[in-house]
Amino acid sequence: MAKSKPPSPLTPAVLHILLALSTRERHGYAIMKQVEEDSHGKVKMGPGTLYGSIGRMIEAGLIRESGKKIDPERNDERRVYYRITGLGQTALAAELQRYREFVAIAQRRWPSPNAIPYGA
Amino acid sequence: MARDHSIQRYRRWYARLLHLYPKLYRERFAEPMEQTFNDLLQDRAKEGRELLVFTLLIFVETLAGILREQTQACFMKSRNIAYIALGTAFILLIPLIAMRFTKEVSWTLFDFVFAGILIFSAGCFFEMARRKAAGNIPYKLGAGMALAAVFLLIWINGAVGLIGSENNPVNLMYAGVIAIAVVGSLIARLRPHGMVRALVATAIAQAMVPVIALLVQPHAVFGEPPGVIGVFALNLFFVVLFAGSALLFRRAHATGSVSRS
Repeated sequence: MAKSKPPSPLTPAVLHILLALSTRERHGYAIMKQVEEDSHGKVKMGPGTLYGSIGRMIEAGLIRESGKKIDPERNDERRVYYRITGLGQTALAAELQRYREFVAIAQRRWPSPNAIPYGA
Repeated sequence: MARDHSIQRYRRWYARLLHLYPKLYRERFAEPMEQTFNDLLQDRAKEGRELLVFTLLIFVETLAGILREQTQACFMKSRNIAYIALGTAFILLIPLIAMRFTKEVSWTLFDFVFAGILIFSAGCFFEMARRKAAGNIPYKLGAGMALAAVFLLIWINGAVGLIGSENNPVNLMYAGVIAIAVVGSLIARLRPHGMVRALVATAIAQAMVPVIALLVQPHAVFGEPPGVIGVFALNLFFVVLFAGSALLFRRAHATGSVSRS
């Protein structure tokens, strides 16, 4: 069911999918490739994980299907494209703000990236 | 060429594997999943990388997804039915408790059974529509409005009757209105575009009932409460509900993101 309040914190898969859809609508494989690129190859999702997350995100109202189209860069099969919703944008913005605050706290405590938190 | 054949074969195997997903999930995502799997293999083939082990890894990953979705579907199904049953019992408790304190409320066993079946059925139908809606809000609202209209129509007719008393045979025409809604929905297989037609037909049928009643049994419309204005106003209320529901389904059709079952 679509909710009016975005879930927080977001799972890494949901965050990456929202980020991939934040600039434009994409089909499943394009999301997969964008997530891989954004994470420098550290996050690789298979179809099971990707579409499981997409299903839950549609239910939560974070993204929606935006119709079937042919991707001119691939074959002539019509593909389902997904688009971020207003709630999805709010959730993404809130999550990124949470990350910024978290990084700011971490930087105040350990300004040098070489600092060792619990001593040597 | 040999690699193309392998990709085609692996894609067929993958399509079979996807049959293990729950029906609703499969109808929604099997095709895009199959395309994504094909894209993955095509890109690996272009890069000259091996395919078989990769295919097996994707199969394992997808199997984990199948297990997760099946578990969730089983849990959700039984949980939601239990919630509807609990909700029905709670609503029926209200007249049961009221009967202990006032003689104004006097329900027979038949009334409780009738109300129980009606409320539970409405809940189950809404749950079915909710699953079909798959996140499409106008679809859910349209289904909710149509169900509320049918529910109220049966309830009011069963309790006091829309035209004259509940025993007036003219009120049997409303069974025809409900039949149009039900049969129309079945023919439409709950698809938004078909639901628009079914509900427009239902609204027209609803509007025709007081007109036919006025022609056939004018004394029932004129002579008994709620009177001619009351009868037409009540029917107009239901016409608005059915027509409003049709408009919401039209909006749901325009957004086009419901389950294709």
